[in-house]
Amino acid sequence: MSRRKQILDRVFALPALPEAMTRVMRLLDCPEVDAGEIARAIECDPGMTSNLLRLANSAYFGGPRQIGSVREAFVRLGSKRTFHLIVSSVFAPMARRPVAGYDLPACALLRHSLATAIACEELAKALAMPVPDNVFTAGLLHDIGKIVLGTFVQADGAAIQQLAFQERTPFQEAESRVLGIDHAEVGAELLCAWNLPEGIVDAVRWHHDPDRSAAPSHMIDLVHAANLLTLMWGVGSGADGLNYLGSAEAARRLRLTPELSEHALNKALEAFLGVESLFVASAGEE
Amino acid sequence: MSVIVRRVVARLRTMEKGTSDGRWESGGRDEIAEVIQIVGIAELKVSNAPSDVLATYALGSCLGITAYDPALKAGGMAHCLLPLSHLDPVRAENCPALFTDTGVSALIQAMLNLGACRDRLVVKVAGGASPLNDAGVFRTGARNYVVMRKLLWKNGLLIAAEDVGGAMARSMRFSLATGAVHVTTGGREVAL
Repeated sequence: MSRRKQILDRVFALPALPEAMTRVMRLLDCPEVDAGEIARAIECDPGMTSNLLRLANSAYFGGPRQIGSVREAFVRLGSKRTFHLIVSSVFAPMARRPVAGYDLPACALLRHSLATAIACEELAKALAMPVPDNVFTAGLLHDIGKIVLGTFVQADGAAIQQLAFQERTPFQEAESRVLGIDHAEVGAELLCAWNLPEGIVDAVRWHHDPDRSAAPSHMIDLVHAANLLTLMWGVGSGADGLNYLGSAEAARRLRLTPELSEHALNKALEAFLGVESLFVASAGEE
Repeated sequence: MSVIVRRVVARLRTMEKGTSDGRWESGGRDEIAEVIQIVGIAELKVSNAPSDVLATYALGSCLGITAYDPALKAGGMAHCLLPLSHLDPVRAENCPALFTDTGVSALIQAMLNLGACRDRLVVKVAGGASPLNDAGVFRTGARNYVVMRKLLWKNGLLIAAEDVGGAMARSMRFSLATGAVHVTTGGREVAL
């Protein structure tokens, strides 16, 4: 069996999302959903409830007024924001563990993911474009494949790093050559199995290679650019460092300039410092 | 907490065994209790406590800049993210090390305030990495470096040693007892 097949089998054997969460996600996807019904579905899961309230009461996600109930959080934040926070509360505990193959200590992947999610939104604002609905979640989940590959890459880590650094090969290409698959595709396959929206799956799949997507979108380009900005900023960097290519085409499609990217980075850092402790220290700890 | 610091010190010493200067090999000096002071992103720290080790992690495009006055055994470190403060002058006031231009000036000023002499300052630099290709939008690392060179030149300072550019993330450690600066890249440590 090829390495690629082995890895994909492993992806499909991973546990599905908790039932309570898929139900909430399904409900959030209905345009005519009733706030009471959503609130009841979320309240079935005490962990999801406490995480949602904690995040909803932060300055970045909520606002100045205290939110006391799940129903109020949903009404105030809207279904898209609620969806982001529900996904965050499931993802945070996974991403808090160290990822050995990439030399990521505990919490590093979570910090990088959160920073990228925020940078996606700040980039869209700096570019004066509407913030795509799910770009926060796509940014948050873009490296989820590293969690899956971590165990595999650990074995071949030396080979991948040697290829990447001595031959100046982009890191995901080195992964492909050694493993037959890279962390972007692994992540996309996992999210696809979890039935996440196609836009998120595509942005994760093409975040290192936006020009190869059959259907280019601002969402893919934003995740690509935000990920590079976050690696430049250095938050939660691992063995791969900045060993990737930046797409000049994606920058052109977004009309991104150095000034705008540095403006977004400045705003993202400020927002990140405001919510980091919520995610890294407590979110998901029940 | 103190346990963690001691462990870190023990590990650093192990790594330093066998280095060319071999300073931890020599008798009593092994007893110095180092205190690791972490310099976070957009932070600046100066100290004249010889036991202090200033350390910063995860330098991507950011620059880690150190200045040392050997006569005083005083030093400072700044971790600068973005090149120019005109991007956000209000934040630059409160947080000068966020920007390379205000960060270099604030570092030099803070050293002078400690009593350091400008002519004695030894400046070392690490970071300023960029993605593999030359897509101009993502060249903040190179822009940081140019701004820093210009600011140092204006202040009559030269760079004594540097480890900059490339696509690797770096960590930096600066011992005020000796002035030694070590840079770690992908698990390998070198002295600057």
